[in-house]
Amino acid sequence: MSTPAEPHRDGAAANAAMLSSTGPATWRWYLLALLLGTVVTGGLTAFSYQVMTGMVVTGINRPVMWGIYIVNFVFWVGLSHSGTMVSAILRLSQANWRRPILRGAEAMTVFSIMVGGLFPLIHLGRNWVFYYIIPYPSQYGLWPNFRSPLLWDMMAITTYIIGSSLFLYLGLLPDLAVARDRAAGWRRLALAMLALGWRGTAQQWQTFGRASTVMACLIIPVAVSVHSIVAWDFAVTLVPGWHSTIFPPYFVIGAITSGVAAVITLMIIIRKAFHLEAFLTPLHFDNLAKLLLIVTALWSYFYFAEVFTTWYGHQPIEWEVFSFSAGHYPLLLMIMLLGNSVVPLTCLLWRRVRRSIPALLIISLLVNVAMFIERFLIVVPSLSHKNVPFLWGSYRPSWVELTVMAAAFCGFALLYMLFAKFFPIMAITDVREEHEALRGETVRGRTRLSTLIDEE
Amino acid sequence: MELLGVFTNIEQAATAVEQLVRAGCPEETITSVTSVPYPPGVLIRGQRRGWFHRLTVGGALLGAAGGFALAAGTAWIYPVQTGDKPIIALFPTGIIAYEGMMLCALLGTMAGMLLEMGLPDLRRRARDPEIADGLIGIAVTLADETRRRTVEQTLLAAGALRIRTDEAP
Repeated sequence: MSTPAEPHRDGAAANAAMLSSTGPATWRWYLLALLLGTVVTGGLTAFSYQVMTGMVVTGINRPVMWGIYIVNFVFWVGLSHSGTMVSAILRLSQANWRRPILRGAEAMTVFSIMVGGLFPLIHLGRNWVFYYIIPYPSQYGLWPNFRSPLLWDMMAITTYIIGSSLFLYLGLLPDLAVARDRAAGWRRLALAMLALGWRGTAQQWQTFGRASTVMACLIIPVAVSVHSIVAWDFAVTLVPGWHSTIFPPYFVIGAITSGVAAVITLMIIIRKAFHLEAFLTPLHFDNLAKLLLIVTALWSYFYFAEVFTTWYGHQPIEWEVFSFSAGHYPLLLMIMLLGNSVVPLTCLLWRRVRRSIPALLIISLLVNVAMFIERFLIVVPSLSHKNVPFLWGSYRPSWVELTVMAAAFCGFALLYMLFAKFFPIMAITDVREEHEALRGETVRGRTRLSTLIDEE
Repeated sequence: MELLGVFTNIEQAATAVEQLVRAGCPEETITSVTSVPYPPGVLIRGQRRGWFHRLTVGGALLGAAGGFALAAGTAWIYPVQTGDKPIIALFPTGIIAYEGMMLCALLGTMAGMLLEMGLPDLRRRARDPEIADGLIGIAVTLADETRRRTVEQTLLAAGALRIRTDEAP
């Protein structure tokens, strides 16, 4: 059993270390923010051009009417899954290694679902009337048709954005009070307002603990429903390759896979950027890697089940879609299979790899590249080769779409950077609660054991 | 009026609570103020049962009813006849009702939690910024000044570093 470094048993030192990200910004921080801001501005400009010119500036055309925007939508919604969901599952299962990971994962969820939720709006032809999707009494007497899966999307994503933001804020509440008591000036005033007068009384902690459990129980089925509904966007159509009962669980597992990989990537960056090596130890990455190993195994099983059923049935149009995908995008298909299945399943079996930060960084990035490709291979080939052969075609994203996509990635990074600058990026009280519990040690035989909890 | 004794360790704080109870302070007037949660009984016993989950359940019922009314009501008021399919589609209505239920349950939980905690709390309270760094606070609410001296002496005798009050400086 490892014990925390001695200086971090001291609350003040631990607070200072975990709040280091909120310190004065360096020139590197400003430079990175400027770079990311420039790309975001470029994306906004490209989108404005699209609004003024029309959807003709995108690569979308008959028969492929869903392009890279919808690929991004599915990818970002998937990415948002693991943050809150894994945090909630680990909280309910009382896995103590979750503590340093919680905040970063929950913030990732909120920002990725915000970015993901923008893509259906960007994809709309007439973006300026997006509010028609909201049911409200209007002079037109128009109401949305709730039979459309796009309406289910709107409801599910709204629920998930609000739910995951509340989940993030709930966990932040005691940490905001800690940050408030160490801050000065306008920052202190802002943190005091956000902390709502939290003191940490026995009654507050008791209610907080119970509310955290209830919120965790509620947010898990919401997360599952969101990606199931995204899967139904595809599965309830009669498009070959999409009309499959396995799609919702397959999408959910894919979402958790990309989410866990993104959590690993972000934790590695946070650890390095804010010098949090004492809190984010190889043990945490080992456990996250085990989780990634399990979900990639599940994803491989689902993928095999889907492809095997298609191959065995060999219905001409279903097989045509798969053949087109393999024949037209062989490199993408190979990267997808390597990144989502072969590489994680073979490499993460080894403890040395799971505890190697550089190896995990490469694997987690590869998983997400592969998962993005998987989304592309779901969306595009099926639309390219639908039931009517004389309407077959292909798709290539335009520079406008690629610029908007680059802006989405940079916008996510910028939001995350700003969050880490103003709010505690580590769950301070959660981490310190564990350190406090580890003080209650006892000697058993030739070793020291924790009397309250076990770190593993 | 509130007095807050600040302690360096948990044993001293627990001793202070026991001595305050022995000195005649009702346990419900005593609470701990800490930067990390401690299991019930370590410092304070006998916390009352919470009620916020009633708002969770109430929110869920309201949300489910609202979602159902929104989806089924829309179909009812603006009927779209498609073949021999029913006007109110079962599965889409169920999905909207489910999402409405979960949304309002989440909102109800959050609102209930804040209400049960008494937040936002804008009143002047006895505070010590070092509690955030790990010191332990034991707060006693006094109805009047008569017991103030006894409480202060008990806290100091148990090892309090200092005593803060909620009075204006």
